[in-house]
Amino acid sequence: MNFTKIINLKTLTVGAIAGVMAFGLTSCSNAPNSPGYEFMPDMYRSPVLKYYNTYTLNGDTLQSAMKPVAGTISRGCMPGIPAGMDYEKAGVYLKNPILFSDAVLTEGGAIYGKFCVHCHGEAGKGDGKVGVKLPGPPPPYDGAGLKNLPEGKMFYTITNGKGLMGSHASQLSVEERWKVIYYVQKLQGHTPGQPAVADSVKAEIAMVVKTDNKKEKQTK
Amino acid sequence: MSRNALNLLLGLILVGFVSINHASAADGKTVFKQNCAVCHALTDQKITGPGLKGLGDRIPKEGDWLFNWIKNNEKVIKSGNAYANKILKENGNAAMTVFESLSDDEIKAVEAYILNPPVEVKAVATASNADAGSGATEEKGVNPLYIILSVIVILGILTGILRGVRLSLQRVNNDKEGNEQAEPVSFFEEGKKWLGEHKRFMVVCLIVLSCIGMKSCWNSLFRVGVYYDWQTNKGYHPEQPIKFSHKIHAGDNAIACQYCHNSVEKSRHAGIPTVNICMNCHKGIQEGPITGTKEIAKIYAASGFDPKAGTYDVSKQNPIQWIKVHNLPDHVYFNHSQHVVVGKIECTQCHGNVKEMTTVEQKSPLTMKWCIECHRKTEVAMAGNPYYDRLHEALKEKYKKEHLNTFTVAQMGGIECAKCHY
Repeated sequence: MNFTKIINLKTLTVGAIAGVMAFGLTSCSNAPNSPGYEFMPDMYRSPVLKYYNTYTLNGDTLQSAMKPVAGTISRGCMPGIPAGMDYEKAGVYLKNPILFSDAVLTEGGAIYGKFCVHCHGEAGKGDGKVGVKLPGPPPPYDGAGLKNLPEGKMFYTITNGKGLMGSHASQLSVEERWKVIYYVQKLQGHTPGQPAVADSVKAEIAMVVKTDNKKEKQTK
Repeated sequence: MSRNALNLLLGLILVGFVSINHASAADGKTVFKQNCAVCHALTDQKITGPGLKGLGDRIPKEGDWLFNWIKNNEKVIKSGNAYANKILKENGNAAMTVFESLSDDEIKAVEAYILNPPVEVKAVATASNADAGSGATEEKGVNPLYIILSVIVILGILTGILRGVRLSLQRVNNDKEGNEQAEPVSFFEEGKKWLGEHKRFMVVCLIVLSCIGMKSCWNSLFRVGVYYDWQTNKGYHPEQPIKFSHKIHAGDNAIACQYCHNSVEKSRHAGIPTVNICMNCHKGIQEGPITGTKEIAKIYAASGFDPKAGTYDVSKQNPIQWIKVHNLPDHVYFNHSQHVVVGKIECTQCHGNVKEMTTVEQKSPLTMKWCIECHRKTEVAMAGNPYYDRLHEALKEKYKKEHLNTFTVAQMGGIECAKCHY
């Protein structure tokens, strides 16, 4: 009888140890989609609403990342493009509000290196690594099409996109957009800060201003 | 004049003609790239304007329609030309830019280029294809648990077979010598008896097994709340809803990390890019080198983009639910901008060489020990860093006796509890 008692004790211990081992070994599994065990999950996943999550409110599934209420102005924000201003008008009326300095140009260059270079290329020739793969590569800054592009049009393009280029407003603040424009003007071959305005552009500006004035008179 | 001279003259004229023609074609290409390629592709893909493939068959033949259209399309539309008004309507009344600034020669050159574009051999990215293939098939180590289990199973089968052999041999032997056949004993009964006879062996086995078990428990305790395997130095690498490869984007195409993770310098979080950032490039690039159109189609589904028409349908938008790889518990505060802008730490220091990763993997353990170790040894870059001017002076005063000139993050309070836990 003593013999069976020992066996029972043994089978119990063997079972317990096997169970512990199984736990130990399985928790080391390398399944890529499993993040592993969490101790006190409520410290990892608090009830506070966090970024990039969904939550339910009154039965609706909502995203924690939401757009601010329309018309929200962020603190310290710089005004961008006034409502109703189109590409042509932006070229005439929008001017760079940032004072030019060498520091601003370096900053613009750094922004260019992160946000523009892979399509437009180091020297703005439209030969970036991604640019050449696009069905229509970006035109060179110093080519006939863009050489005398007014800064307002550049700002409009960065903000709203043009052609294949998408809007970069979500990536660059208004201030950063104007800073990078100084650098683009350098790549155009102008002295940034005081871009040379070609006669044709001057004429174009005069024409737009004239028609605008006419329209205003008519509405009056 | 001899016949030869005449031939020569003719030849010269021909060569001249051909070279002029050639020059104008080359010119046409540059004019096209600088002015038209932004909106028009030479294929049938619609960018902003319609694709130009087969344009010669579509446009009206009479007069210089194409020339007039390129020069001033507004005029052509206003003149009441039926085809002009039709394509204006087809493209959602979005007017084309007027190119009065182009000279007649340039327009003619670009006209010739559009109607007869040179056939370009499409380079097939076989090299990068092969690369990516080898990267995608990751090495898979066999879990030691499976090896142990299979050895146990094999040993069990062997024991069973050997027992059968032994029993039948015994029976044959008993028959031969005319002995009485032993009563058959069940496998379980026999095992019980064997265990009783080998108690010491069993105790040793149990001790070894329990040691292994305790060690693996100890190891697994270190993985609780840590998305990192200390044995294999492999981190969490979940499968994402889109097979996005950092190797292609950040590596092969050299797109800066900040282009997509653009809040890294401004905020706590590096930021997961919104789908409009994907679309900045993928509006044009509709086919990838590895998965073709399959994975890119998921971006289009998320952004409500119709690649054929080139238009967005806001009502069909549906966010991509990326899986967060680098997780910190809620009770830890970490700020990316502080480390990247003030600390001037490279992305790769914590995230590893993401440029080589097909699937992103957590390269650092992200435990508190790991944070503290780095804070203890990292010297604060104080030169040209006005943020620390006052603190620097105070520290100099404090560490006068030690004659210290450089300070680690820890000496500036980088290991105070409340720096990260509050």
